[in-house]
This record gives sequence, C-alpha cells and structure tokens, in this order.
Amino acid sequence: MKRLLFITLLALASQHAFASDSIVIVANTQDTSIELTRQEIRNLFMGGVVSHDLEAIALPPENQTRVLFNTKVVGLTESRIQSYWAQMRFSGRKKPPTELDSERIVIEYLKSHPGTVSYLQSDTKIPVELTIILKIK
Amino acid sequence: MRILKATFLAIISSYFVVLFTISSVYAATEDALQFSGFARVVLGYLDESNATYSGYSDDISLSQQSLIGLQVDYQLADNLSITSQLIGHSGNERGSGVEWLYLTYQPTRSIQIKLGKQRTPFFNYSDSIDVGFAYPWVTLPKQVYNSSLISTFNGALANYQWSGKKFGFDVEAYWGSFDDMTFISAVAIPANVNDLRGLITKLNYDNWIIRASYHTADIFIKLPKLEEFSSLLSRFGFTQSAQSLSLDGKVEFYQLAASYENINYFFRTEVTKIHTQSPTIPDVSRFYVAAGYHYYSFLSYVSFAKDKSTNGAPVNEIPIGFGPQLDALALGYQRVFNTLLVSNSQSITVGTKWNFKSNLALKAEVTWIEADQGGDTSFYVLDETKFDKKAPLYQLALEWVF
Repeated sequence: MKRLLFITLLALASQHAFASDSIVIVANTQDTSIELTRQEIRNLFMGGVVSHDLEAIALPPENQTRVLFNTKVVGLTESRIQSYWAQMRFSGRKKPPTELDSERIVIEYLKSHPGTVSYLQSDTKIPVELTIILKIK
Repeated sequence: MRILKATFLAIISSYFVVLFTISSVYAATEDALQFSGFARVVLGYLDESNATYSGYSDDISLSQQSLIGLQVDYQLADNLSITSQLIGHSGNERGSGVEWLYLTYQPTRSIQIKLGKQRTPFFNYSDSIDVGFAYPWVTLPKQVYNSSLISTFNGALANYQWSGKKFGFDVEAYWGSFDDMTFISAVAIPANVNDLRGLITKLNYDNWIIRASYHTADIFIKLPKLEEFSSLLSRFGFTQSAQSLSLDGKVEFYQLAASYENINYFFRTEVTKIHTQSPTIPDVSRFYVAAGYHYYSFLSYVSFAKDKSTNGAPVNEIPIGFGPQLDALALGYQRVFNTLLVSNSQSITVGTKWNFKSNLALKAEVTWIEADQGGDTSFYVLDETKFDKKAPLYQLALEWVF
C-alpha cells in the first residue's frame, strides 16, 4: 500500500514537473493568427518593440512561472534581469512591464485589456478570450 | 572634505523638501508621478602607503564612490514626460547636483526623443555609471571608464528601435554642448565642450549584443598653470611650443563592445579609442575583457583592463646648451608635454556580486593595478622612490535600487 502511494505520489510529482516545465505565451488580440518567435517575445518583455502593438504583463520576481519564463525565453537569471532594468530605468531608456501578483490576476487583466500579452504554465486553463501566440517546451 | 560632505547633505535635504512639495501638489495624480532611486555605499582600501588611486589610500574610505540618486518621472501627456535625476556624491572626483533633467517625447513605441540635460552615452555603461546595481563590478574598469570624460551634456537625443523575428536593432543620435567642470586627476577644471555629437548603433541577436559608436566634440579646457607656462614660452618667442600645449581642439571617440550572456555565464568586451587634435592630449586606446559565472543568486567575475596613451610629437624649438634659463625652459616643456594626462596602466579584477534581494546586492572585489614605469598619472604618487607602481585595491559595496 505504502509502495502504491509512493508510486502515485511520484507519478503525480513527475506529471506536475512535466506540466510546469512548459509555458505558453497568451495575448488578448483580435488577430488570432499572430505567431511570434521566442526572440520577439524576449524583446517585448525586455522593453523592446515588436511588429504588433502588444503590451507585456509580467509576474513578480519570485513567481515560479516567471522563473521558467526567464530560463526558457529570456535566457537570463532574475538578478541579471533586475540589473538590466536598473540600467534601463535610470538611463531613461525603457520601463519594465507592469507586474501583477498572480496568474489568476494576470488572466483577468488580460481578458479586460486588449493588446496585452503574458506568460502562463501550459497546464493553465486558457480562457477563450485569449490566444496562444507561442508554446515553449 | 568637510565642505563637500556638508554640500552633499544640503543638496540631498533640499531635494527631499522639493520631492515632498511636488508629491503633495501632485498627490491627486499619483499615477502620473513616479519616484525611484538608487544608492551605493562603497568601502575601499588601497594596500599601498606611497601612492593613492582614484582617491583611495591605505586608510579605509567610504566617501570616494558612495552616492545616492533620486529620480522623478512625471507623465505630462500620453507621449510626453519629464524626468529629473539628482545625484548626491561625496567623492573627490565628482560633484553633486542635477545630472539629468529632460523632456521625453515618444510619438511611437519605436521612437524616443529627449531634450535637456542628459548623460553622454559614450560607452556601454556611461549613462548608468552611478547605478552600481546595474553592473557586476564595484568600480567599472578605470582604464576604460575614466572620470575625466565629460559626463553630461545639454541637448537633444533621438532613439529609434526596430526588431525582427531574429534581430533587434537600435540606433541613437545626439547633439549638444557642455559647459561645466571636468575632473582630471581629482582636480576640477573648467571645460567648454561645443558641437558634441554622436551616433550609436546596437544589434541584438539571440544572447549577443554588439554596440558600435562614434562621438566627436570641440573642447576648450582651461588649466591656469599650463596657460602661465604657455605664455612664458610665447614671451621667449617660442610660439610653436606654446601653441603645442593648447588643450583646445577636436576630439573623436570610437567605441566597440560585444557581449554574450546566458543563464549560466557572461562574456563582455569593450574597446575604445580617443583621438585628439591637440598634441598635448594624447590619443588613448583602452579595452577590457570580462567573464563571469552565475550560480544561485551570486555572480563571480574576472576582468582585465588596459589603457595606452600615445602623445603627439613635441616641438623641438628651444635650443639646449645656451644657458641655464633656456635649458630649464626646454626641460620644463618636455616634462609638461610628456606627463600631462597620460595614462598607461592595466588591471586585473576578481569579484563576486550577491543579489540577496531583488533590489539589493553586496559586492566584494580585488583589483591589482599596475602602471607603466614611464608616463602615467593614474596613481597619485606620494613617494616616488618607494613606489613600484603596483598596488592592490580592495572594495566592498552595497547596492540598492528603490
């Protein structure tokens, strides 16, 4: 019985690990055919411009989805990203994306703000109002 | 020193009063008004009793690089904002006051136009040199980031950015002037800089960033002692020698930087060259290479930096051996010519930055500085006979952004 419980827990844990290992980039956009590359998403979240008029919405630094996004899309550590924003902010170049406290708040915000884009774990239930513009495993 | 600290405190306290007044006035429009800032406390010790370096000696010093910066952004309209940044600095080679005061007009997301007092974007970090939180080092490699370079200008700067599926591109142009003090070997010197302009291009590809820039200006620097000596030469009829000591003329800066960064490590290099028309101001080539490794919330790095000055040719006008007065004049001329503003040194830095909070970092670093036995002014030598032109500099820093 103990063994079965252990296996079940292990299976759940690995499933959880698998699910949280991939992320999706979602946007509230009229143009559902939009597909952006990883580099474009990286630029957008680092304060750059992309061909579409989109506004990036981020999660707070300690958030697990943000850590995944940093690793898989930005390719930099959180502390490096913070020092990048310090440089951009105090040289008047770019401002960091708006940060919202949790995935739930991000989804609600995206739904009511056309043109916004954010990242979520791929096992998140994506509301119909939002379009997946990139999947990253 | 005491006067400096008193000025520093007076400026900071008056700024807080201004901030408080502004914040009360605009309390109703809180969203449009943003306050932010940064501060650093830097502790330094030079393990050498016969010289000082960047104000550091064998007494532990807190005042050379510690500073506080406060920034106010006010959104005047959708695409128009005003920014002011005030720096309170206690170092010998820096003044305190308003470093930035500009209007930003952003007609589209790709275009940004700034008008007013701004930092000159010569090198990668010149516009954020005060924000220690933004870079790994306690002190940016001195051989490249020299304090005698003009730090601010009054003028216009336009930036255009574009990004495609794989590449990102950024181009920036500015034009302005500067009429203030510059610091050469910790001495404040009045400088007029006219027709300062530059073009900066930046290319991003994957985790690579390449930055190339060109800057030029007409400079007029007044060194009273040099002017006295120059007029003495003129009185003796050596007008060519006198003219060759002029610090005025056109200056050109070239810069090229490359960096690669990923989640585990970084590599960065920056090469700069300064070319001047004045024979007395040497042409200077500078570079650094740096590499670092990220682990947990730590970053450990090593860097090597070097600068090399090349003087123009002196005028051989003063005859030697025709009397002690002329000999002294010739010797004086040679000395001034060869030692003014030259820097030939190199350094190796090893350090660690620990980001223990998302807005707080601690840094510790050691820099081994070695200056050429010949012409170099990077050390202020107290005892020429005992100093071998080598010294380690130990620094600790606390960096904060808020």
